[in-house]
Amino acid sequence: MGQYLPILMLLVLAVVFAALSFFASRLLAPRRPTAAKSAPYECGIVPSREPPERFPVRFYLIAMIFIVFDIEIIFLYPYAVIHRELGGFGLVEMAVFVVAVFAAFVYLIANGALDWGPVKHLRRVDPRVSTSRTAATTVRRVGLEGREPETGEAA
Amino acid sequence: MILGADPLLTGPIDLTAVAIVAFKTLLVFVFLLVATMLMIWFERKVHGDMTNRIGPNQAGPFGVLQSVADGIKVFFKEDLIPDRSDRFVFKLAPYLSVVPAFVTFAVVPIGGVFGDGERGVVSMFGRDTRLQLADPPIGILLVLAMSSIAVYGVMLAGWSSGSKYPLLGSVRASAQMVSYEAALGLSVVAVVLVSGTLTTSGIVASQHVWNWNIWATGAVPFIIFVIAATAELNRPPFDLVEAEQELVGGFHTEYSSVRFALFYLAEFMNTVTMSAIIVTLFLGGPNGPALIGPDWVWGPIWFFAKLLVFLFMFVWFRATLPRFRYDQLMDLGWKALIPLALGWLLLLVAVRVADDEDWNVFVVMAAALAVMAAAYGLLVLAFRAARRVHEVEAAI
Repeated sequence: MGQYLPILMLLVLAVVFAALSFFASRLLAPRRPTAAKSAPYECGIVPSREPPERFPVRFYLIAMIFIVFDIEIIFLYPYAVIHRELGGFGLVEMAVFVVAVFAAFVYLIANGALDWGPVKHLRRVDPRVSTSRTAATTVRRVGLEGREPETGEAA
Repeated sequence: MILGADPLLTGPIDLTAVAIVAFKTLLVFVFLLVATMLMIWFERKVHGDMTNRIGPNQAGPFGVLQSVADGIKVFFKEDLIPDRSDRFVFKLAPYLSVVPAFVTFAVVPIGGVFGDGERGVVSMFGRDTRLQLADPPIGILLVLAMSSIAVYGVMLAGWSSGSKYPLLGSVRASAQMVSYEAALGLSVVAVVLVSGTLTTSGIVASQHVWNWNIWATGAVPFIIFVIAATAELNRPPFDLVEAEQELVGGFHTEYSSVRFALFYLAEFMNTVTMSAIIVTLFLGGPNGPALIGPDWVWGPIWFFAKLLVFLFMFVWFRATLPRFRYDQLMDLGWKALIPLALGWLLLLVAVRVADDEDWNVFVVMAAALAVMAAAYGLLVLAFRAARRVHEVEAAI
Protein backbone atom coordinates (compact mmCIF):
# COMPACT_ATOMS: atom_id res chain seq x y z
CA MET A 1 0.00 0.00 0.00
CA GLY A 2 3.05 2.25 0.20
CA GLN A 3 2.53 3.16 -3.45
CA TYR A 4 -0.57 5.12 -2.50
CA LEU A 5 1.18 7.31 0.07
CA PRO A 6 1.98 10.15 -2.40
CA ILE A 7 -1.63 10.16 -3.66
CA LEU A 8 -2.86 10.45 -0.08
CA MET A 9 -0.42 13.29 0.57
CA LEU A 10 -1.54 15.19 -2.53
CA LEU A 11 -5.17 14.65 -1.54
CA VAL A 12 -4.56 16.08 1.92
CA LEU A 13 -2.64 19.01 0.42
CA ALA A 14 -5.49 19.76 -2.00
CA VAL A 15 -8.09 19.67 0.80
CA VAL A 16 -5.93 21.92 2.97
CA PHE A 17 -5.48 24.33 0.05
CA ALA A 18 -9.23 24.58 -0.50
CA ALA A 19 -9.92 24.94 3.22
CA LEU A 20 -7.29 27.67 3.60
CA SER A 21 -8.79 29.52 0.63
CA PHE A 22 -12.18 29.54 2.35
CA PHE A 23 -10.57 30.67 5.60
CA ALA A 24 -8.76 33.54 3.84
CA SER A 25 -11.95 34.55 2.09
CA ARG A 26 -13.79 34.58 5.40
CA LEU A 27 -11.14 36.91 6.86
CA LEU A 28 -10.91 39.26 3.88
CA ALA A 29 -14.29 39.34 2.21
CA PRO A 30 -17.18 41.57 3.31
CA ARG A 31 -20.39 39.93 4.52
CA ARG A 32 -23.44 42.01 3.75
CA PRO A 33 -26.11 39.63 2.51
CA THR A 34 -29.45 41.07 1.53
CA ALA A 35 -32.66 39.38 0.48
CA ALA A 36 -32.05 40.30 -3.15
CA LYS A 37 -28.49 38.98 -3.13
CA SER A 38 -29.31 35.63 -1.65
CA ALA A 39 -32.33 34.99 -3.84
CA PRO A 40 -31.85 32.57 -6.75
CA TYR A 41 -30.30 34.31 -9.76
CA GLU A 42 -32.72 34.64 -12.64
CA CYS A 43 -31.30 37.52 -14.66
CA GLY A 44 -32.93 40.16 -12.50
CA ILE A 45 -36.43 38.74 -12.48
CA VAL A 46 -37.90 37.94 -9.08
CA PRO A 47 -38.15 34.14 -8.97
CA SER A 48 -41.79 33.11 -8.96
CA ARG A 49 -41.57 29.36 -9.29
CA GLU A 50 -39.66 26.62 -7.53
CA PRO A 51 -36.95 24.87 -9.54
CA PRO A 52 -38.38 21.81 -11.29
CA GLU A 53 -38.31 18.59 -9.37
CA ARG A 54 -39.35 16.34 -12.22
CA PHE A 55 -37.05 15.66 -15.13
CA PRO A 56 -37.44 13.95 -18.48
CA VAL A 57 -37.07 10.25 -17.89
CA ARG A 58 -34.33 10.06 -20.52
CA PHE A 59 -31.80 11.46 -18.08
CA TYR A 60 -32.53 8.61 -15.67
CA LEU A 61 -32.34 6.12 -18.55
CA ILE A 62 -28.91 7.45 -19.49
CA ALA A 63 -27.73 7.01 -15.91
CA MET A 64 -28.96 3.40 -15.78
CA ILE A 65 -27.53 2.49 -19.18
CA PHE A 66 -24.23 4.06 -18.19
CA ILE A 67 -23.93 1.90 -15.09
CA VAL A 68 -24.49 -1.25 -17.14
CA PHE A 69 -22.00 -0.19 -19.80
CA ASP A 70 -19.34 1.04 -17.44
CA ILE A 71 -19.31 -2.28 -15.60
CA GLU A 72 -19.03 -4.12 -18.92
CA ILE A 73 -16.14 -1.89 -19.97
CA ILE A 74 -14.37 -2.57 -16.68
CA PHE A 75 -14.48 -6.29 -17.51
CA LEU A 76 -12.49 -5.55 -20.66
CA TYR A 77 -9.53 -4.16 -18.70
CA PRO A 78 -8.28 -7.41 -17.11
CA TYR A 79 -8.65 -9.14 -20.45
CA ALA A 80 -6.68 -6.42 -22.22
CA VAL A 81 -3.79 -6.86 -19.76
CA ILE A 82 -3.50 -10.65 -20.15
CA HIS A 83 -4.83 -11.24 -23.68
CA ARG A 84 -1.46 -12.70 -24.73
CA GLU A 85 -1.61 -15.47 -22.10
CA LEU A 86 -5.20 -16.37 -22.95
CA GLY A 87 -4.60 -16.57 -26.71
CA GLY A 88 -7.32 -17.89 -29.03
CA PHE A 89 -9.53 -19.11 -26.17
CA GLY A 90 -9.60 -15.62 -24.69
CA LEU A 91 -10.44 -14.09 -28.06
CA VAL A 92 -13.47 -16.36 -28.51
CA GLU A 93 -14.64 -15.78 -24.93
CA MET A 94 -14.29 -12.02 -25.36
CA ALA A 95 -16.14 -12.11 -28.67
CA VAL A 96 -19.05 -13.90 -26.96
CA PHE A 97 -19.02 -11.34 -24.17
CA VAL A 98 -18.98 -8.40 -26.58
CA VAL A 99 -21.78 -9.95 -28.63
CA ALA A 100 -23.88 -10.05 -25.45
CA VAL A 101 -23.06 -6.41 -24.72
CA PHE A 102 -23.73 -5.40 -28.30
CA ALA A 103 -27.09 -7.20 -28.42
CA ALA A 104 -28.19 -5.22 -25.36
CA PHE A 105 -26.92 -2.03 -27.00
CA VAL A 106 -28.83 -2.69 -30.23
CA TYR A 107 -31.96 -3.48 -28.22
CA LEU A 108 -31.66 -0.16 -26.37
CA ILE A 109 -31.18 1.80 -29.58
CA ALA A 110 -34.04 0.03 -31.36
CA ASN A 111 -36.35 0.92 -28.49
CA GLY A 112 -35.37 4.56 -28.76
CA ALA A 113 -33.84 4.68 -25.28
CA LEU A 114 -31.03 6.90 -26.58
CA ASP A 115 -33.09 9.22 -28.75
CA TRP A 116 -33.18 12.92 -27.99
CA GLY A 117 -34.50 15.98 -29.56
CA PRO A 118 -37.06 16.69 -32.25
CA VAL A 119 -38.25 14.19 -34.85
CA LYS A 120 -36.43 14.71 -38.10
CA HIS A 121 -39.09 13.23 -40.41
CA LEU A 122 -42.58 14.07 -39.26
CA ARG A 123 -45.28 11.55 -40.13
CA ARG A 124 -47.33 12.25 -43.19
CA VAL A 125 -50.78 13.54 -42.47
CA ASP A 126 -53.49 10.86 -42.75
CA PRO A 127 -54.80 11.20 -46.37
CA ARG A 128 -58.36 10.31 -45.32
CA VAL A 129 -58.63 13.57 -43.37
CA SER A 130 -59.08 16.71 -45.43
CA THR A 131 -56.51 19.44 -44.76
CA SER A 132 -59.26 22.05 -44.70
CA ARG A 133 -60.59 20.58 -41.43
CA THR A 134 -58.75 22.43 -38.69
CA ALA A 135 -59.63 23.57 -35.17
CA ALA A 136 -60.75 26.91 -36.64
CA THR A 137 -63.21 25.39 -39.11
CA THR A 138 -64.68 22.54 -37.06
CA VAL A 139 -65.13 24.16 -33.66
CA ARG A 140 -68.21 26.37 -33.52
CA ARG A 141 -67.59 29.34 -31.30
CA VAL A 142 -70.48 30.57 -29.20
CA GLY A 143 -71.04 33.45 -26.84
CA LEU A 144 -69.06 35.95 -28.87
CA GLU A 145 -71.91 38.46 -29.25
CA GLY A 146 -70.94 41.98 -28.28
CA ARG A 147 -67.28 41.13 -27.80
CA GLU A 148 -64.31 42.58 -29.61
CA PRO A 149 -63.16 40.34 -32.42
CA GLU A 150 -59.98 38.56 -31.37
CA THR A 151 -56.94 40.20 -32.87
CA GLY A 152 -54.54 37.46 -31.96
CA GLU A 153 -52.20 39.50 -29.80
CA ALA A 154 -54.72 39.79 -26.98
CA ALA A 155 -54.37 37.03 -24.42
CA MET B 1 3.00 -8.21 -17.24
CA ILE B 2 4.53 -5.22 -15.50
CA LEU B 3 3.16 -4.22 -12.13
CA GLY B 4 3.97 -0.65 -11.37
CA ALA B 5 6.04 0.20 -8.40
CA ASP B 6 8.03 3.19 -7.35
CA PRO B 7 11.29 1.65 -6.04
CA LEU B 8 11.29 4.33 -3.36
CA LEU B 9 8.18 2.89 -1.72
CA THR B 10 8.46 -0.85 -2.34
CA GLY B 11 10.31 -1.77 0.85
CA PRO B 12 9.69 -0.52 4.38
CA ILE B 13 9.21 3.23 4.28
CA ASP B 14 11.62 5.28 6.37
CA LEU B 15 11.84 8.98 7.10
CA THR B 16 14.00 9.84 4.07
CA ALA B 17 11.47 8.24 1.74
CA VAL B 18 8.64 10.19 3.34
CA ALA B 19 10.66 13.40 3.02
CA ILE B 20 11.32 12.74 -0.68
CA VAL B 21 7.63 11.98 -1.24
CA ALA B 22 6.67 15.19 0.56
CA PHE B 23 9.11 17.13 -1.61
CA LYS B 24 7.72 15.60 -4.79
CA THR B 25 4.14 16.22 -3.65
CA LEU B 26 4.89 19.87 -3.00
CA LEU B 27 6.61 20.15 -6.38
CA VAL B 28 3.61 18.67 -8.23
CA PHE B 29 1.21 20.86 -6.24
CA VAL B 30 3.07 24.05 -7.08
CA PHE B 31 3.55 22.95 -10.69
CA LEU B 32 -0.18 22.33 -11.08
CA LEU B 33 -1.12 25.71 -9.60
CA VAL B 34 1.39 27.60 -11.75
CA ALA B 35 0.49 25.59 -14.87
CA THR B 36 -3.20 26.29 -14.31
CA MET B 37 -2.58 30.01 -13.87
CA LEU B 38 -0.51 30.07 -17.04
CA MET B 39 -3.13 28.00 -18.88
CA ILE B 40 -5.84 30.53 -17.99
CA TRP B 41 -3.63 33.33 -19.28
CA PHE B 42 -2.65 31.30 -22.38
CA GLU B 43 -6.27 30.57 -23.24
CA ARG B 44 -7.34 34.19 -22.85
CA LYS B 45 -4.38 35.47 -24.84
CA VAL B 46 -4.59 32.95 -27.70
CA HIS B 47 -8.37 33.10 -27.85
CA GLY B 48 -8.09 36.88 -27.91
CA ASP B 49 -5.69 36.74 -30.84
CA MET B 50 -7.89 34.29 -32.71
CA THR B 51 -10.93 36.52 -32.31
CA ASN B 52 -9.01 39.66 -33.22
CA ARG B 53 -8.77 41.08 -29.71
CA ILE B 54 -5.77 41.90 -27.56
CA GLY B 55 -6.48 39.81 -24.48
CA PRO B 56 -4.97 40.51 -21.07
CA ASN B 57 -1.98 42.84 -21.43
CA GLN B 58 -1.84 44.98 -18.26
CA ALA B 59 -0.68 42.76 -15.39
CA GLY B 60 2.98 41.93 -15.86
CA PRO B 61 4.78 41.35 -19.18
CA PHE B 62 2.21 40.33 -21.83
CA GLY B 63 -0.38 40.10 -19.05
CA VAL B 64 1.14 36.91 -17.62
CA LEU B 65 0.16 37.86 -14.09
CA GLN B 66 -3.50 38.41 -14.99
CA SER B 67 -4.57 35.14 -13.35
CA VAL B 68 -2.68 36.03 -10.17
CA ALA B 69 -4.38 39.40 -10.07
CA ASP B 70 -7.78 37.80 -10.59
CA GLY B 71 -6.98 35.20 -7.92
CA ILE B 72 -6.12 37.86 -5.36
CA LYS B 73 -9.16 39.92 -6.25
CA VAL B 74 -11.47 36.98 -5.70
CA PHE B 75 -10.52 36.70 -2.01
CA PHE B 76 -11.97 40.16 -1.40
CA LYS B 77 -15.33 39.36 -2.97
CA GLU B 78 -18.41 38.64 -0.92
CA ASP B 79 -19.11 34.95 -0.50
CA LEU B 80 -22.84 34.42 -0.93
CA ILE B 81 -24.77 31.31 -0.01
CA PRO B 82 -28.28 31.43 -1.49
CA ASP B 83 -31.23 31.12 0.88
CA ARG B 84 -32.75 28.15 -0.85
CA SER B 85 -29.51 26.19 -1.09
CA ASP B 86 -28.63 23.02 0.77
CA ARG B 87 -25.82 24.61 2.75
CA PHE B 88 -23.70 21.56 3.52
CA VAL B 89 -23.73 20.18 -0.04
CA PHE B 90 -23.28 23.69 -1.43
CA LYS B 91 -20.06 24.03 0.56
CA LEU B 92 -18.93 20.47 -0.17
CA ALA B 93 -19.22 20.66 -3.97
CA PRO B 94 -16.13 22.84 -4.66
CA TYR B 95 -14.00 20.35 -2.71
CA LEU B 96 -15.37 17.48 -4.79
CA SER B 97 -14.46 19.40 -7.91
CA VAL B 98 -10.98 20.62 -7.00
CA VAL B 99 -9.55 17.60 -5.17
CA PRO B 100 -9.88 15.11 -8.08
CA ALA B 101 -8.37 17.75 -10.36
CA PHE B 102 -5.25 17.77 -8.20
CA VAL B 103 -5.05 14.03 -7.55
CA THR B 104 -5.28 12.88 -11.18
CA PHE B 105 -1.93 14.39 -12.04
CA ALA B 106 -0.19 12.14 -9.50
CA VAL B 107 0.09 9.24 -11.96
CA VAL B 108 1.47 11.23 -14.90
CA PRO B 109 5.16 10.52 -15.62
CA ILE B 110 6.84 13.78 -16.54
CA GLY B 111 10.35 12.51 -17.12
CA GLY B 112 12.83 9.68 -16.82
CA VAL B 113 14.82 7.69 -19.34
CA PHE B 114 13.02 4.62 -20.67
CA GLY B 115 14.27 1.74 -22.81
CA ASP B 116 17.76 0.25 -23.22
CA GLY B 117 17.46 -1.52 -19.88
CA GLU B 118 16.51 1.69 -18.07
CA ARG B 119 13.13 1.67 -16.38
CA GLY B 120 12.62 5.38 -16.03
CA VAL B 121 14.13 5.48 -12.57
CA VAL B 122 16.15 8.47 -11.44
CA SER B 123 18.27 9.01 -8.37
CA MET B 124 17.06 11.65 -5.93
CA PHE B 125 18.89 12.34 -2.65
CA GLY B 126 20.62 8.97 -2.92
CA ARG B 127 17.37 7.05 -3.48
CA ASP B 128 15.93 5.57 -6.66
CA THR B 129 12.56 6.95 -7.59
CA ARG B 130 10.42 7.83 -10.59
CA LEU B 131 9.80 11.25 -12.06
CA GLN B 132 6.12 10.90 -11.32
CA LEU B 133 4.43 11.39 -8.01
CA ALA B 134 2.92 7.93 -7.58
CA ASP B 135 3.04 4.71 -9.57
CA PRO B 136 0.29 2.48 -8.21
CA PRO B 137 -0.41 -0.85 -9.97
CA ILE B 138 -3.88 0.39 -11.02
CA GLY B 139 -2.37 3.43 -12.74
CA ILE B 140 -4.78 4.53 -15.42
CA LEU B 141 -7.86 3.31 -13.51
CA LEU B 142 -7.15 6.04 -10.95
CA VAL B 143 -7.58 8.62 -13.72
CA LEU B 144 -10.97 7.18 -14.68
CA ALA B 145 -12.03 6.97 -11.03
CA MET B 146 -11.12 10.60 -10.41
CA SER B 147 -12.95 11.79 -13.50
CA SER B 148 -16.02 9.94 -12.16
CA ILE B 149 -15.75 11.73 -8.83
CA ALA B 150 -15.48 15.07 -10.61
CA VAL B 151 -19.01 14.44 -11.95
CA TYR B 152 -20.27 14.56 -8.35
CA GLY B 153 -18.79 18.02 -7.84
CA VAL B 154 -20.63 19.41 -10.86
CA MET B 155 -23.87 17.56 -10.15
CA LEU B 156 -24.10 18.40 -6.44
CA ALA B 157 -23.14 22.04 -7.08
CA GLY B 158 -26.10 22.48 -9.40
CA TRP B 159 -28.51 20.48 -7.31
CA SER B 160 -27.70 22.19 -4.01
CA SER B 161 -27.99 25.72 -5.40
CA GLY B 162 -31.80 25.63 -5.22
CA SER B 163 -32.09 27.57 -8.45
CA LYS B 164 -33.30 26.73 -11.95
CA TYR B 165 -30.33 27.33 -14.22
CA PRO B 166 -27.73 25.57 -12.09
CA LEU B 167 -30.03 22.57 -11.75
CA LEU B 168 -30.59 22.35 -15.51
CA GLY B 169 -26.87 22.79 -16.13
CA SER B 170 -25.90 20.09 -13.69
CA VAL B 171 -28.41 17.55 -15.02
CA ARG B 172 -27.10 18.18 -18.51
CA ALA B 173 -23.54 17.93 -17.24
CA SER B 174 -23.98 14.63 -15.46
CA ALA B 175 -25.68 12.98 -18.44
CA GLN B 176 -23.01 14.30 -20.78
CA MET B 177 -19.99 13.37 -18.66
CA VAL B 178 -21.41 9.95 -17.93
CA SER B 179 -22.09 9.30 -21.63
CA TYR B 180 -18.62 10.18 -22.79
CA GLU B 181 -16.96 8.32 -19.96
CA ALA B 182 -17.98 5.06 -21.62
CA ALA B 183 -16.26 6.06 -24.88
CA LEU B 184 -13.26 7.34 -22.90
CA GLY B 185 -12.95 4.02 -21.06
CA LEU B 186 -13.22 1.99 -24.26
CA SER B 187 -10.47 3.92 -26.00
CA VAL B 188 -8.21 3.48 -22.96
CA VAL B 189 -8.73 -0.30 -23.19
CA ALA B 190 -7.02 -0.20 -26.60
CA VAL B 191 -3.98 1.44 -25.01
CA VAL B 192 -3.92 -1.12 -22.20
CA LEU B 193 -4.16 -3.87 -24.81
CA VAL B 194 -1.15 -2.62 -26.75
CA SER B 195 0.96 -1.76 -23.73
CA GLY B 196 -0.03 -4.81 -21.69
CA THR B 197 -0.12 -2.97 -18.39
CA LEU B 198 -2.31 -0.62 -16.38
CA THR B 199 0.51 1.41 -14.85
CA THR B 200 1.32 4.73 -16.44
CA SER B 201 5.06 4.11 -16.15
CA GLY B 202 4.64 0.79 -17.97
CA ILE B 203 2.53 2.42 -20.67
CA VAL B 204 5.22 5.05 -21.21
CA ALA B 205 8.01 2.42 -21.16
CA SER B 206 6.23 0.37 -23.83
CA GLN B 207 6.22 3.40 -26.15
CA HIS B 208 9.99 3.83 -26.01
CA VAL B 209 11.25 6.49 -28.39
CA TRP B 210 9.02 6.21 -31.48
CA ASN B 211 6.71 3.26 -30.79
CA TRP B 212 3.91 5.60 -29.72
CA ASN B 213 0.47 4.22 -29.04
CA ILE B 214 -1.09 6.66 -31.50
CA TRP B 215 0.33 4.47 -34.30
CA ALA B 216 0.33 1.19 -32.36
CA THR B 217 -3.43 1.44 -31.80
CA GLY B 218 -4.14 2.83 -35.26
CA ALA B 219 -5.11 6.44 -34.44
CA VAL B 220 -8.84 5.70 -34.03
CA PRO B 221 -8.71 5.30 -30.21
CA PHE B 222 -6.66 8.50 -30.06
CA ILE B 223 -9.30 10.47 -31.95
CA ILE B 224 -12.08 8.98 -29.83
CA PHE B 225 -10.14 9.77 -26.67
CA VAL B 226 -9.55 13.40 -27.65
CA ILE B 227 -13.24 13.91 -28.49
CA ALA B 228 -14.41 12.17 -25.31
CA ALA B 229 -11.87 14.08 -23.22
CA THR B 230 -13.11 17.39 -24.60
CA ALA B 231 -16.65 16.41 -23.69
CA GLU B 232 -15.52 15.15 -20.28
CA LEU B 233 -13.88 18.52 -19.60
CA ASN B 234 -17.05 20.37 -20.67
CA ARG B 235 -14.94 22.45 -23.00
CA PRO B 236 -16.21 23.89 -26.25
CA PRO B 237 -17.70 22.56 -28.51
CA PHE B 238 -19.18 20.42 -25.71
CA ASP B 239 -19.81 23.24 -23.23
CA LEU B 240 -23.59 22.86 -23.04
CA VAL B 241 -23.17 22.67 -19.30
CA GLU B 242 -22.46 26.36 -19.08
CA ALA B 243 -23.99 27.57 -22.31
CA GLU B 244 -24.20 31.25 -21.44
CA GLN B 245 -27.05 32.01 -23.82
CA GLU B 246 -29.29 29.39 -22.23
CA LEU B 247 -28.15 28.75 -18.68
CA VAL B 248 -26.37 31.91 -17.43
CA GLY B 249 -23.28 30.18 -16.04
CA GLY B 250 -24.52 26.63 -15.73
CA PHE B 251 -23.90 24.72 -12.52
CA HIS B 252 -21.87 27.49 -10.87
CA THR B 253 -24.34 30.33 -11.44
CA GLU B 254 -24.99 30.74 -7.72
CA TYR B 255 -21.35 30.48 -6.71
CA SER B 256 -19.30 33.55 -5.99
CA SER B 257 -15.96 34.53 -4.52
CA VAL B 258 -13.51 31.74 -3.66
CA ARG B 259 -16.03 28.98 -4.27
CA PHE B 260 -16.43 30.10 -7.86
CA ALA B 261 -12.67 30.48 -8.21
CA LEU B 262 -12.16 26.88 -7.12
CA PHE B 263 -14.54 25.61 -9.81
CA TYR B 264 -12.72 27.74 -12.36
CA LEU B 265 -9.37 26.46 -11.13
CA ALA B 266 -10.57 22.86 -11.28
CA GLU B 267 -11.83 23.32 -14.82
CA PHE B 268 -8.51 24.58 -16.14
CA MET B 269 -6.49 22.17 -14.01
CA ASN B 270 -8.50 19.34 -15.53
CA THR B 271 -7.62 20.67 -18.97
CA VAL B 272 -3.92 20.58 -18.14
CA THR B 273 -4.20 17.13 -16.56
CA MET B 274 -6.24 15.68 -19.39
CA SER B 275 -3.70 16.96 -21.91
CA ALA B 276 -0.99 15.28 -19.85
CA ILE B 277 -2.99 12.04 -19.85
CA ILE B 278 -3.39 12.18 -23.63
CA VAL B 279 0.36 12.69 -23.99
CA THR B 280 1.05 9.78 -21.62
CA LEU B 281 -1.36 7.36 -23.23
CA PHE B 282 -0.90 8.06 -26.91
CA LEU B 283 2.17 10.20 -27.55
CA GLY B 284 4.81 8.43 -25.51
CA GLY B 285 4.86 10.79 -22.54
CA PRO B 286 8.45 11.93 -21.96
CA ASN B 287 9.78 9.64 -24.72
CA GLY B 288 11.72 11.33 -27.45
CA PRO B 289 15.17 11.46 -28.95
CA ALA B 290 17.88 12.80 -26.66
CA LEU B 291 19.73 15.41 -28.66
CA ILE B 292 22.52 17.18 -26.80
CA GLY B 293 23.50 17.08 -23.14
CA PRO B 294 22.49 14.45 -20.59
CA ASP B 295 19.61 12.07 -21.45
CA TRP B 296 17.41 12.86 -18.47
CA VAL B 297 17.02 16.53 -19.46
CA TRP B 298 15.08 15.61 -22.60
CA GLY B 299 12.25 13.70 -20.91
CA PRO B 300 10.59 16.75 -19.32
CA ILE B 301 11.37 18.90 -22.40
CA TRP B 302 9.56 16.52 -24.75
CA PHE B 303 6.75 16.05 -22.26
CA PHE B 304 6.07 19.77 -21.94
CA ALA B 305 6.41 20.32 -25.68
CA LYS B 306 3.75 17.69 -26.36
CA LEU B 307 1.61 19.03 -23.51
CA LEU B 308 1.67 22.49 -25.04
CA VAL B 309 0.42 21.13 -28.37
CA PHE B 310 -2.71 19.77 -26.70
CA LEU B 311 -3.28 22.85 -24.58
CA PHE B 312 -3.19 24.89 -27.76
CA MET B 313 -5.53 22.38 -29.41
CA PHE B 314 -8.15 22.86 -26.69
CA VAL B 315 -7.99 26.64 -27.09
CA TRP B 316 -8.18 26.24 -30.86
CA PHE B 317 -11.30 24.08 -30.49
CA ARG B 318 -12.91 26.81 -28.43
CA ALA B 319 -12.12 29.54 -30.94
CA THR B 320 -13.16 27.50 -33.98
CA LEU B 321 -16.01 25.10 -33.33
CA PRO B 322 -19.64 26.06 -32.70
CA ARG B 323 -21.44 24.42 -29.80
CA PHE B 324 -23.27 21.13 -30.26
CA ARG B 325 -27.01 20.78 -29.81
CA TYR B 326 -27.91 18.42 -26.98
CA ASP B 327 -29.36 15.63 -29.13
CA GLN B 328 -26.36 15.84 -31.47
CA LEU B 329 -24.07 15.52 -28.47
CA MET B 330 -25.85 12.45 -27.17
CA ASP B 331 -26.04 10.87 -30.62
CA LEU B 332 -22.32 11.41 -31.19
CA GLY B 333 -21.43 9.87 -27.84
CA TRP B 334 -23.70 6.85 -27.82
CA LYS B 335 -24.38 6.07 -31.45
CA ALA B 336 -21.01 6.87 -33.02
CA LEU B 337 -18.16 6.81 -30.54
CA ILE B 338 -19.11 3.80 -28.40
CA PRO B 339 -19.80 1.34 -31.27
CA LEU B 340 -16.72 2.60 -33.12
CA ALA B 341 -14.48 2.19 -30.08
CA LEU B 342 -15.87 -1.28 -29.35
CA GLY B 343 -15.47 -2.43 -32.96
CA TRP B 344 -11.95 -1.07 -33.26
CA LEU B 345 -10.97 -2.72 -29.99
CA LEU B 346 -12.18 -6.12 -31.22
CA LEU B 347 -10.32 -5.68 -34.50
CA LEU B 348 -7.12 -4.88 -32.60
CA VAL B 349 -7.56 -7.89 -30.33
CA ALA B 350 -8.23 -10.22 -33.28
CA VAL B 351 -5.16 -9.03 -35.18
CA ARG B 352 -2.88 -9.27 -32.15
CA VAL B 353 -4.09 -12.73 -31.12
CA ALA B 354 -3.84 -13.93 -34.73
CA ASP B 355 -0.27 -12.65 -34.80
CA ASP B 356 0.57 -14.55 -31.60
CA GLU B 357 -1.11 -17.80 -32.60
CA ASP B 358 0.30 -17.84 -36.15
CA TRP B 359 -3.13 -17.71 -37.72
CA ASN B 360 -3.45 -16.21 -41.17
CA VAL B 361 -3.76 -12.51 -40.45
CA PHE B 362 -5.68 -11.77 -43.64
CA VAL B 363 -8.32 -14.42 -42.96
CA VAL B 364 -8.74 -13.11 -39.41
CA MET B 365 -8.95 -9.52 -40.69
CA ALA B 366 -11.55 -10.49 -43.27
CA ALA B 367 -13.58 -12.37 -40.65
CA ALA B 368 -13.38 -9.45 -38.22
CA LEU B 369 -14.40 -6.98 -40.90
CA ALA B 370 -17.32 -9.21 -41.91
CA VAL B 371 -18.49 -9.38 -38.29
CA MET B 372 -18.17 -5.61 -38.00
CA ALA B 373 -20.12 -5.06 -41.21
CA ALA B 374 -22.89 -7.30 -39.87
CA ALA B 375 -22.86 -5.35 -36.59
CA TYR B 376 -23.06 -2.09 -38.51
CA GLY B 377 -26.05 -3.41 -40.47
CA LEU B 378 -27.76 -4.33 -37.22
CA LEU B 379 -27.10 -0.85 -35.86
CA VAL B 380 -28.59 0.78 -38.95
CA LEU B 381 -31.69 -1.39 -38.58
CA ALA B 382 -31.88 -0.39 -34.92
CA PHE B 383 -31.66 3.31 -35.84
CA ARG B 384 -34.56 2.87 -38.27
CA ALA B 385 -36.67 1.08 -35.68
CA ALA B 386 -35.88 3.81 -33.15
CA ARG B 387 -36.92 6.52 -35.59
CA ARG B 388 -40.27 4.82 -36.11
CA VAL B 389 -40.84 4.61 -32.36
CA HIS B 390 -39.84 8.25 -31.98
CA GLU B 391 -42.16 9.41 -34.76
CA VAL B 392 -45.13 7.53 -33.30
CA GLU B 393 -44.42 9.08 -29.91
CA ALA B 394 -44.27 12.53 -31.46
CA ALA B 395 -47.50 11.92 -33.41
CA ILE B 396 -49.33 10.99 -30.19
